[in-house]
Amino acid sequence: MKIVFLLLTLIQLSWGADATIEVVKGVEGLANLAIEDSSLQSSDMSHKFSKMLVADMNVISLFNVDESYAMAAFDSPVPSAVHKDAQYLLRYRLNSDGSGGINADIKLLQNGRELFHKSYVLKQSEMLVFLSHTIAYDINAKLGGSPIDWIKRKVLFIRLTSPKHSEIIASDYTLSYQKVILKGGMYGFAKWANREQSDLYFTSLSDFKPTIYKMNLLSGKKEKVISSDGMAVCSDVSEDSKRLLLTLAPEGQPDIYLYDLATGNKNRVTDYSGIDVNGQFMGDGSVAFVSNRLGYPNIFSKQMNSSGISQLVYQGKNNSSLSSYKNFLVYKARESSATFAGNSFNLHLLSLNSGNVKRLTASGENDFPRFSPDGEAILYIKQEGARSSIGLIRFGVNKSFIFPLKMGRIQSIDW
Amino acid sequence: MMKKVAFLSATVAMLVLSGCSSKEPAIDATANANGASIGTNVNTSSTGTDSNAVIAPITNASANDTTTGAAGSAGVNGSDGQLVSILFDYDKFNIREDMQESMTKNTLLVKGKSIKLEGNCDEFGSDEYNFALGLKRANAVKAALVNSGVSADAITMASFGESNPVCLEKTQECWAKNRRVDFKLP
Repeated sequence: MKIVFLLLTLIQLSWGADATIEVVKGVEGLANLAIEDSSLQSSDMSHKFSKMLVADMNVISLFNVDESYAMAAFDSPVPSAVHKDAQYLLRYRLNSDGSGGINADIKLLQNGRELFHKSYVLKQSEMLVFLSHTIAYDINAKLGGSPIDWIKRKVLFIRLTSPKHSEIIASDYTLSYQKVILKGGMYGFAKWANREQSDLYFTSLSDFKPTIYKMNLLSGKKEKVISSDGMAVCSDVSEDSKRLLLTLAPEGQPDIYLYDLATGNKNRVTDYSGIDVNGQFMGDGSVAFVSNRLGYPNIFSKQMNSSGISQLVYQGKNNSSLSSYKNFLVYKARESSATFAGNSFNLHLLSLNSGNVKRLTASGENDFPRFSPDGEAILYIKQEGARSSIGLIRFGVNKSFIFPLKMGRIQSIDW
Repeated sequence: MMKKVAFLSATVAMLVLSGCSSKEPAIDATANANGASIGTNVNTSSTGTDSNAVIAPITNASANDTTTGAAGSAGVNGSDGQLVSILFDYDKFNIREDMQESMTKNTLLVKGKSIKLEGNCDEFGSDEYNFALGLKRANAVKAALVNSGVSADAITMASFGESNPVCLEKTQECWAKNRRVDFKLP
């Protein structure tokens, strides 16, 4: 596995100041965990799996993880010699099922005492990292860690391969598993169509007019949703998956539309003569969006059945993308007035309840923030020259992580 | 949300500090291999006790898109034939003075023809706003063409955001070449 795994920063968030202090104290006192291979024979795959578990155990942030590899008998109550200081042992036993899949047994021991034991079935061995993520999820749940439902989710992203050519890729959150699900055209803004992640929306720019398609992931079947001259983007999907917020531009004018999937009806939400894009459903029924109605891109909101517009963000001079979770917003802000040189784009978190704003990233070009469906984490794109990475920020443990893409540039992400 | 985060953070900290010593030892029942799925392609004879022991394939479908012809890549100029691309300033979509001559030339060449205007941006931002900026540039060119007598019905538009650069270097000059509207003939 080639995850390059960097702990970027420990972020002090505003929510619950006392809790933040306790977590920082806790980092110093984390218990030692070692990972041990109990497969019948050590193999490239079982080695690789050890590294995957190390990475995931670091991300769940409940342990001080020993990264050294060792083998040990699955049922032995004592650690291997190199892990004698470990209070916790995570043992795994991988068995090929003879038809491209893997059966796995997992055991978590605390000072020789068994805390957790489970068996898993992986249908395709290439998806090994998802097995690691599932185990991390189960262990975190068992030990009462901060919720990490997002760890098992599939990430969708668009990789730009050459001018006017891109691919839609499904991956895990670390980018170590990647499956091209559509190539041969120019695509943008891939977005999951439902919580189950069985279908997705994307924009095709290879058609005569920009067109939004819905695609079933398993069968690959595509159906046209809507097309528009100029621009057609699915910006957000309602929690019940029945309504979409789209950016369309039938008269060359980008505005936000509410689209009802059952009836096919679309209603124009904004009608400003400049740019209105990136509509997001908010917890109070309103729509938050990016508009340049004050002469620069900033974040505004509007109730569906009212003409009144509210400015939501009063900081930054170029706030051009956002994601929402209930009454929280994360948005991108340009930090300086310089056109290019030394410029940086950082992500900020705004609580609409308290009005508090906190900067989430320290430097560089950070773009395309996306809340996880449970609001516990943010995924975003970090651009460094020609290279893109995916960034992950976890609120529950105040940590962030970066996972680089080996080649190409990421246009959009969703999870 | 604040209370929830505070509570969960405190819970994590307490568990970490105590080494989870207060946790009852617990053993999960071994999952049924035919149990519930987290994916899309497994048997669903769930035991009801565990919902994530089976990890299913993501897709069995071919990734090759047979329904669309990929748009051709742009040349150095980006526009077709004798047509010239119109360049724009950073974060702007008004047609510059120094582009008026190119607009006049293009207008003569496209009169009576169908034309597709493709708006493009530099690499700063892959978000919707950047795509919208590309579209507003195409729309400004369309308005100028219509003012000069070209039929609005003969013009279609698309924005490619940052995804169709004609210059790939990291220089001001290069970025300036990418902030443009291309003229494409069908």
